[in-house]
This record gives sequence, C-alpha cells and structure tokens, in this order.
Amino acid sequence: MSDLIASLPPSPVAGSSVAGEGDDGSQALRPWRKRRRLPSSPLYAIVRWGGAGLFAALVIGLIVSIVSQSSQAFAHSGLSFLWSGTWNPDAGDYAGGTLVAGTVITTLVAMIIVVPIGLGISVSLSELIPRWLAGPLSTSIEFLAAVPSIVVGLWALLVLSPLFATDVEPALERLPVLGWFFHGPAYGPSVLLASVVLAIMTLPTVVALSRTALGGVPLADREAAMALGATHWQVVRRTVLPGARSGIAAAITLAVGRALGESIAVALVIGNRPAIPHSLLAPGATLGSAIVNQFAEASPGLGTSAVIALAGILLLLTILVNVAGQLLVRRRGGRRLLGVRGAVV
Amino acid sequence: MRTLRSAGVPDSAIPDMGVAAVARRRVVVRDCARHSIRRRRMTGRAMQVICLIAVLIGVTPLVALVIATVSKGAGALSIGFLLHAPTPEGGGISTAIVGSGEIVAYAVALAVPLGLFIALFLFERAGAIASSIRFSADVMSGVPSIIIGIFAYAVYVERFHHFSNVAAGFALGVLMLPIMVRANEEAMRTVSVDLWEAGISLGARRSRVARSVVLRGALPGVVTGNLLALARGVGETAPLLFTVASPTFAMTLLIFNDATQPFPDAQQTAWGTALVLLTLVLILSVTARTIAWTLNRKTR
Repeated sequence: MSDLIASLPPSPVAGSSVAGEGDDGSQALRPWRKRRRLPSSPLYAIVRWGGAGLFAALVIGLIVSIVSQSSQAFAHSGLSFLWSGTWNPDAGDYAGGTLVAGTVITTLVAMIIVVPIGLGISVSLSELIPRWLAGPLSTSIEFLAAVPSIVVGLWALLVLSPLFATDVEPALERLPVLGWFFHGPAYGPSVLLASVVLAIMTLPTVVALSRTALGGVPLADREAAMALGATHWQVVRRTVLPGARSGIAAAITLAVGRALGESIAVALVIGNRPAIPHSLLAPGATLGSAIVNQFAEASPGLGTSAVIALAGILLLLTILVNVAGQLLVRRRGGRRLLGVRGAVV
Repeated sequence: MRTLRSAGVPDSAIPDMGVAAVARRRVVVRDCARHSIRRRRMTGRAMQVICLIAVLIGVTPLVALVIATVSKGAGALSIGFLLHAPTPEGGGISTAIVGSGEIVAYAVALAVPLGLFIALFLFERAGAIASSIRFSADVMSGVPSIIIGIFAYAVYVERFHHFSNVAAGFALGVLMLPIMVRANEEAMRTVSVDLWEAGISLGARRSRVARSVVLRGALPGVVTGNLLALARGVGETAPLLFTVASPTFAMTLLIFNDATQPFPDAQQTAWGTALVLLTLVLILSVTARTIAWTLNRKTR
C-alpha cells in the first residue's frame, strides 16, 4: 500500500502550483513539461507561439519605435537633453531638464502626501475596522482606481482648483516655517494641485497592495507578540509593519511608477509652464503634461522628435521603477499579489 | 538550588533581599507595569485615531468627486444629450458614444483573443521564455498610457498619414493586453493541474484540454479580469489623444476638450459626459466583481 502511495505523483494544491517548481524529478504529467508524444494539434501550437511572439514583438516594437523616433532630438541636443536647458520650441530650444525636474518634484510631493495616508488606511482596513465595514470601504477605495483619470482631472480643474486658489493655498502660505515652500501668488493650477491629484490617483495602488502585504503577515507572529504582552498597536507597529515591509515597499514603488506616468489629469491642473518651479504654488510642467500639450503643436521633424524623446525619458524612468517594483513583489514571493484583484491597480 | 552565592558572586555584590525589600520591589515593578501599560494603551489609542482620520481623508475625495460629477452632470443629461450629435451650440454626445464604442470594440477584438493565447502559452510552459514574457507583461502594465499613444501614433498614424479609430483601438488594445494576460494566467492557475492531467490521460489533445478543462475552469476569472481591464481601457484618454481624428469621436477626448474651455455650456457637456463615463465604468467593475464574488462563494 505504501508503495502505491509513494508511486503516485505529488498532487499540488489547486492554485499553488508555480511553473518551474514542479520539476521535482517525479514522472508526473504537467502542462509545462516537454512530452513529445502527447497528442497535440499544430494549430494550437501556432496560436500559442504566435501570441507569445506577437507580444514580444509589441514590447520590442514599442521600445524601438520610441528610441528611433527620438534619435533626431538627441542628435540635435546631445545627451544633455536629459538634464539641461529649457523647453522653448519658439526659440528652437529642446531640452527636457525642467520637465524631468517637474516630474520628480510632483511625484515626490504626491508620495509625501499619499504614503502616510495610504498606510494609515491599510492598517485601519486590515487591523482596526470590523470586517463588515472594511469590505465596503476597501471596495470603494478600489473603485477610485477605476475612476477614469480624465474625470479626476475634470473635477480637480473645475472644483478643486478654485477651492485651492481661494482657501487652501493662502492658508498654506501662512504656515510657520513650511510656508516657505508655499510662497508666491495662489493661482489654483499649480505643482501642489498636481501633486494632490496624483496622490488621489495613486491612493488605491498603495492601499490595495500594502493591505495585501499586511494580511500576509502570519498569524503566529502576531500571537507571539501578543503573548509577550504587546498591546494591539505594538503588535501592528513591531510585528505586522516590519513583516510587511517589502510588500509595502513594492506598493510604494508601483505607486511611484503610476505617478510618474500620469499625464492627462496632471496636464489639466499643473498650469503648464516648463520651468523649474520656485514654489509649490507656482505652475510647472511634467514630462507627461508636456507631451500632452506639445505634441499636437510640435513642428514636424525636430519638434515631434523632441516630444517623442520626452516620451523616451518617461518610458525609461517608468520601466526602471516598475522593474524595481516587480522585483520587490517577486522577492516577497507574492506572485498572487497582482492577481485579478490587482488588475485595477 | 543554585544561588548567586554558590556561583561565586561576592557577598558585597548581592542586593539585600529581605522580606521588606522584596515587597518594596514588587510595588515598584507593579507601578512600573501599570504605568507602562497605560502609556502603551494611550499611544495605541492615539495611533488608531490617526489611522481612522487617514481613512476619512482618503474617502473624502472619492465622495466629493462622485457627488460633484452626479450633481453637475445630471443637469446635462437627457435623452437628446445621448442621442444627438454635437453642434457648435452644444447638442449631444452621440458621436462620442458611438466612437468610444467602436474604439473599444477594436481594442477588445485585438486584446481578448491575444490575451487568452499568451496566457495559455504561459500556462503551458516553464522556463526563460515564459518567465521573461510574464515579467515584461508585468512591467508593460506599468508603462504610461501616453507612451502607448505615441507608439500607436508612430506605428499607424505616421505611416498611413491619417488619424483613425483603428489606431486608437490598437493603442487601447496594447494598453489592456498585459493586464488581461496576467489576469487570465492567474485564473488558469486556479484550475487544478490534476484535472489537466486527467484530461490528457483520457487521450484528449492538448488543445482540447486547454479548451474544455483549462478555459472552462478559468472562465469566471477570465471574464472578471477582462472586464476590469476593459473598465480601465474605456476611461483612458492619453492613447486616443494622438490617434483619433476629432475630440467629438471619443467620450474621454470630449471631456478633455470641453473641460479646458471657458464657456459654461462646454463645461456642462464635459460634466454630463463624465457622468455617462463614470456610470459605464461603475457598471463594468460591479459586473466583474459580482462574477468574482459568485465564483468565490461557489468554490467555498
């Protein structure tokens, strides 16, 4: 009897099988093992390989077309296109330095706003709020991810921006010490407003991913901390948060990736002035907003190429950030972190 | 019993532990513990309040946004708004609804079958090719939509020298594809490998097992994932910006165009279109979630 059981292939729990891990030397049939004698149809192989090949072609084509189209601008300005100079098409000056700075500043301010709030929400949802309330709350925050960015932009431009100009920005200006960041006239459309919009749009990403990470901390760890006499908050602070650290890092990294690339809503509210903003209340521009605003007006040839070069810089930035984020997700072993639930993120 | 003295500690180093000293010490320890737990509970209470305030701050924009869109958009909505073509004086948004539908149809025709094929490829293969495709799908889903719009412009508009809904559909399809691939693959992974094995053992071809076992088992998850990707695609503006001939041919572009105009009529149209779009996206995600929820309940 025991021989019979031993000869059976190990049966993985449904859903837990990970491609590549099944090669344990047993003779079990698995979809991903090479079995030349298995009956198959040539059409099915063509369809699968064709799909995979087409996807690879799309990815490579995307990168190649952006790089080749932007080559004219890089030939004109050299590599210093990346960091120096101003964007002034009327004078024939094409350089992305101010736009890169604008992108980095808005993303940074957005993260300063969204990370504490997002973490507070995830801790509340997974630790503090009773389940009957946490479910609907978390669904509604996930719904925020589904709200089209143009609708967020419309609301920010027509509702939030007047509010900022009359109330929020003058109030910030009077803050002690911090007021230095908020000097200058309050227009409404500003770097600050763009950052707030980015914070709103990245909030669901931070909450959904870091909540999954918090939920993944083993119950035994919490119980051990409680047995040592830790209060509820101490369990969260000393056990749950450190245990979920890399998941939270992945959440923040992927949120940074989203914030860098958001263009439409930012283009509506940032004021579109391609210069280094001297204050958070000043208008500015990001790579994405400049592409939106300049592409239609760009002169054929060098102008178009320069805008596509901006897209190239943005592509490089987001690929770097997303690769880092995905590596963090994978290190956590959280393949399922970005499953169907994460599709909205 | 081993004592300090037997361990060789000199008498001068051993504290006086008479009865009175032990009692005094116990009081000190108790007070200390009482103080500590009070302090720790206070900290915990304060942090809990801060976390709950964060929830309020996080939910406020969502509520404010929905209320603003509904209250301002409802004024613009009427049957004529949905059915009439735009005119310089206002009119309806029928062309935008039809255009958006057409673009999304092209995108679905491209991305849904391709997403299934690629997911089947990932399901049936292990190794470097599969994992690099999986990884690039994950990275691709983070590539900004504006870049995909530029890609579609370079591939289609610049080559054929005209703007077209086909190019926009291509852009949206490329945008939704990686999300669909990953959602499909995750759904397929929930199908037990034993079922696959059983199908093969019955003598069925791989293609037959893929159709009748893997796809059949993963269908609810596949539908959920594709609907969520669709909900995201419908609301995208950036990929359409450089591919569609006129802003009146897509709802999101119409909003973008009208939002920046100083005329109240245009802004009214923008709010109305935003309400239509928001409702559409809400219906799509609620449908997707309901399917996922029913599935979860069934398998439990």
